[in-house]
Amino acid sequence: MKNIRLENIKKSFSGEVILENINLTIPGGKIFALLGPSGSGKTTILRLIAGFETADEGRIYLGDEDITDTPVNQRHVNTVFQNYALFPHLNVFENIAFSQRIKKVPEEIVQQKVNKVIKTVHLEKHINKSIGQLSGGQQQRVAIARAIINEPEVLLLDEPLAALDLKLRERMLLELIDLQSTLKTTFVYVTHDQFEALTVADTMAIMNPDGQIEQIGTPKEIYEFPASSFVAQFVGSSNIFNGTLRIKDDQQYLEIEGVGACQILAPKGKEWIYDGAQVFMSVRPEKIDISKELLPGFSNHVQGTVASIVYHGRSTQYNVRLSNNKIVQVFEQNEEHFPKEVIDYDDVVYLMWQKENVVILEK
Amino acid sequence: MKKINANFRSEFPFFMALPAVAWQFFFCYVPVVCLILLSFLRSGNTAFDTQAVTLENYTYFFSPLFALVIGRSLLLAFCTAFFCLLFAYPVSYCLAIKIRRFKNIFLFFLILPFWTSFMVQAYAWFFVLEHNGLINTILLNLGVISAPLHLLNTTLSIYIVMVYCYLPFMIMPLYTALEKIDRRFFEAAADLGATQWQTFTKLTIPLSMPGIKTGFFLVFVPAFGEFVIPTLLGGGKKLFVGSLISQYFFVARNPNIGSAFTVITCIVLLMAVGLLYWFFNRKTVLTLTQED
Repeated sequence: MKNIRLENIKKSFSGEVILENINLTIPGGKIFALLGPSGSGKTTILRLIAGFETADEGRIYLGDEDITDTPVNQRHVNTVFQNYALFPHLNVFENIAFSQRIKKVPEEIVQQKVNKVIKTVHLEKHINKSIGQLSGGQQQRVAIARAIINEPEVLLLDEPLAALDLKLRERMLLELIDLQSTLKTTFVYVTHDQFEALTVADTMAIMNPDGQIEQIGTPKEIYEFPASSFVAQFVGSSNIFNGTLRIKDDQQYLEIEGVGACQILAPKGKEWIYDGAQVFMSVRPEKIDISKELLPGFSNHVQGTVASIVYHGRSTQYNVRLSNNKIVQVFEQNEEHFPKEVIDYDDVVYLMWQKENVVILEK
Repeated sequence: MKKINANFRSEFPFFMALPAVAWQFFFCYVPVVCLILLSFLRSGNTAFDTQAVTLENYTYFFSPLFALVIGRSLLLAFCTAFFCLLFAYPVSYCLAIKIRRFKNIFLFFLILPFWTSFMVQAYAWFFVLEHNGLINTILLNLGVISAPLHLLNTTLSIYIVMVYCYLPFMIMPLYTALEKIDRRFFEAAADLGATQWQTFTKLTIPLSMPGIKTGFFLVFVPAFGEFVIPTLLGGGKKLFVGSLISQYFFVARNPNIGSAFTVITCIVLLMAVGLLYWFFNRKTVLTLTQED
């Protein structure tokens, strides 16, 4: 399967630069997710690949072929639109068959292809219905069927599940993963929802609000080893501390105001790692243990007061105020109906974590 | 909240609808019934009298002369609607889909003539079409023609002014229908391989069909009975349905025969509209969506 390569892409709308110096290789035959907040230009990248927008500068390659100037209707790329853009005057069959009618494919072949693709998306019963008679999830399936009937080299999905409810979204995500492993087509999945991106992606890119790609990697790499404080906070949630780096012998510490010295493992071979450097420390809330007693075996601990408790069902979120008034988030799994230790508001607690589970980030 | 809604639903619309319904009833349906009754009374009778009931008013019209007048009006109405559609479609398309800025200003200037009286618009065309009018002056000065063209009081001038005056009736529903089409449909069509022309025939036209239908009827129906423009610009040389009816009522002062003719033209119009309706719902939609 062919890669998609974007080289030095620049795009501006009426003078405002949205994307600049975008260099991105999307691996072929996999699901690639573009995750970013609204206005980060992720949809613009998708529209550039589809051909709805033209780049001011830079080239786009599909495999070895330069498709920068190929018109939309000649690219082997199909799109599933955010609100599906199904044609209201055509029924399910004709919507799916649209691209075949355009190519003037003989009727029996159209029938065969539509019947095959409609089975893939489990819509056999609804083939003669009009679009208005379908539920949101069914419309979504028609949109997918319409886009894959042409056997595109790349399937672009623009926030495809945004209009569906949570349960349906979870199910559709799994179906999309299944679909991709059957088709082996390259999927480019644009979303602002980190849950969707982490679930669906083989590889993902995180974009910041300035239209720059902050990090590319597998979901696990992105989550466990965020490359910047933006990524750490945008994907999942994270406690970010400011501190001064201290390197003594082979021991590494971070001096944090109000917390004290924390043991850390600083990344090696970075020019911003030196004694006295100002850096960020990111600790995921679920990587912190909370208890009223100091438990042994942790490399770091700090004391604080419980400021608020948010019950999430599978976990409970404690917001703990440190002596410097900083609030630290902690997630605890609700493993038992009746936990041995009940933590309440205003309790003085210890927060404990291991030095292996923190990430040091450049400031 | 629920209670207010229930009250709103049960009582409010009834009172609101009453004035309009009463107005319709007294000033449209009652006069039409009177007109139908009049058409069955011998000439000169305006009060209902069983002695005067007759069908003879209708017998006048079984002649080729009247068939010609009706046919001429049908042709005028159809051609006006057709050319209006032809001219209005590109304008509405550009306005609704292509142009993004100043669209309301363009629309305003297109609709502006619609706010002035038909009579004023028709008279304004005198200055354009007459012997030393705008068209002839321009063509003479450019050397295209050597003698002024005879434009006024011709069938051509009727058609030109008809199309001009009825254009807003076509533009407005077309614009509304085209504006409603989701831009993403065009992108989706291109994405699925359609050329601009294929997108136009397979998407734009079928999706704007409600506007085409509305516009066609909005022009066709009043154009059939139009008498101001044919009378003013045709110089009264050729009779149309509207002008003939007005002649019966205001010149010949024979409301009985006039009514009979009106009833006949109404029936013809209903049949024509029915035929068009059938045509729009079957043929056009099918051919345009299935074929290129």
